[in-house]
Amino acid sequence: MKKNLNNVNFQHISPRTENILERNEFLSYFGKSKRQDYKHTTIKYLKLEPEDGKFFKNYIIQELLAREELPTMSQPLKNKMIEAIYEIFVNAQMHSNCEFIYTCGQFFPKKNKIEFTIVDNGIGFKEKVNRRFDTQFSALQAIKWAVIDRNTTKKIPGGIGLALLHEFVQKNRGKIQIISAEGYYEYSEANIIYKEFKGEFPGTIVNLQFKTDDSSDYLLKSEVNDINDIF
Amino acid sequence: MKTRQINIVNIIGDNYAVEAEEGQKVYNQIVAAIDKNFKVNLSFLNIDMVTTAFLNSAVGQLYGNYSEEKIRKHFMVSNMSESGKISLKRVVETAKLHYKDADALKRSIEDILNE
Repeated sequence: MKKNLNNVNFQHISPRTENILERNEFLSYFGKSKRQDYKHTTIKYLKLEPEDGKFFKNYIIQELLAREELPTMSQPLKNKMIEAIYEIFVNAQMHSNCEFIYTCGQFFPKKNKIEFTIVDNGIGFKEKVNRRFDTQFSALQAIKWAVIDRNTTKKIPGGIGLALLHEFVQKNRGKIQIISAEGYYEYSEANIIYKEFKGEFPGTIVNLQFKTDDSSDYLLKSEVNDINDIF
Repeated sequence: MKTRQINIVNIIGDNYAVEAEEGQKVYNQIVAAIDKNFKVNLSFLNIDMVTTAFLNSAVGQLYGNYSEEKIRKHFMVSNMSESGKISLKRVVETAKLHYKDADALKRSIEDILNE
């Protein structure tokens, strides 16, 4: 739309939603003034290019790690959460051939959870898998394939990031949602949902939900006495 | 055999070892040292975050270039966090399988088609 020199404006947003989108600065990209986040619960909207990895790191530190409002979490849990977010971010960088990556999030102090979203306007799971293997997968088939441990479209070994994310989310009782082209996928400890919807999202959305009142032990030993024995 | 220490933080200039491209830079240094018959000690000192994407590029690829025996002889890591070790173990297991079983990915595609 923007490429055709159209102006993008938002109208008829419910006041509650508008308030959040002002506080996380999303609407400031579309002609609205910035509003102070008086509740201190938003993780600001950010639009960046795939090469802006260092910028993303500063954002993660400023908007998540260094925030006083961050719900109380153990350090290992915090690290696991950042690691999980990074696995998704680098996937968008590497795989999507996108022009931009968009992120934002929200703390829910009363519900003890954090939601974090990473969106790219790239080629999506379906196109990526079909180009690599010369298949005709639907978006759902491509997502189903990609979330299996060790499946990768790269020529070198890979496919571990999404699998590790699933293991963490299961232990944490969180949630993953993936929307790509016409495919919708949701994973939580309780169930897995696959759905096809009528429209098509031009890229990929990954929503991550983490529980902050998680007392699991994330300092488990790596089960090897000497790491160099693994080679 | 002489040992050459490769400090990741010095190669990538950051305490977050997260991007595949940075892993590739580290991999290139490891290969250059092994090919000159050094034993490489890959140090994670002062690295606070690693992803499997980085480790796949930096370490996983070695199994496509060298035998397991040669890697054991010429390569070691040091100063890794416990969570880094868990990720590296996973990366190494995956890399060994990836290069041993070249048809595994093809089969995984067929599995989805036959569902």
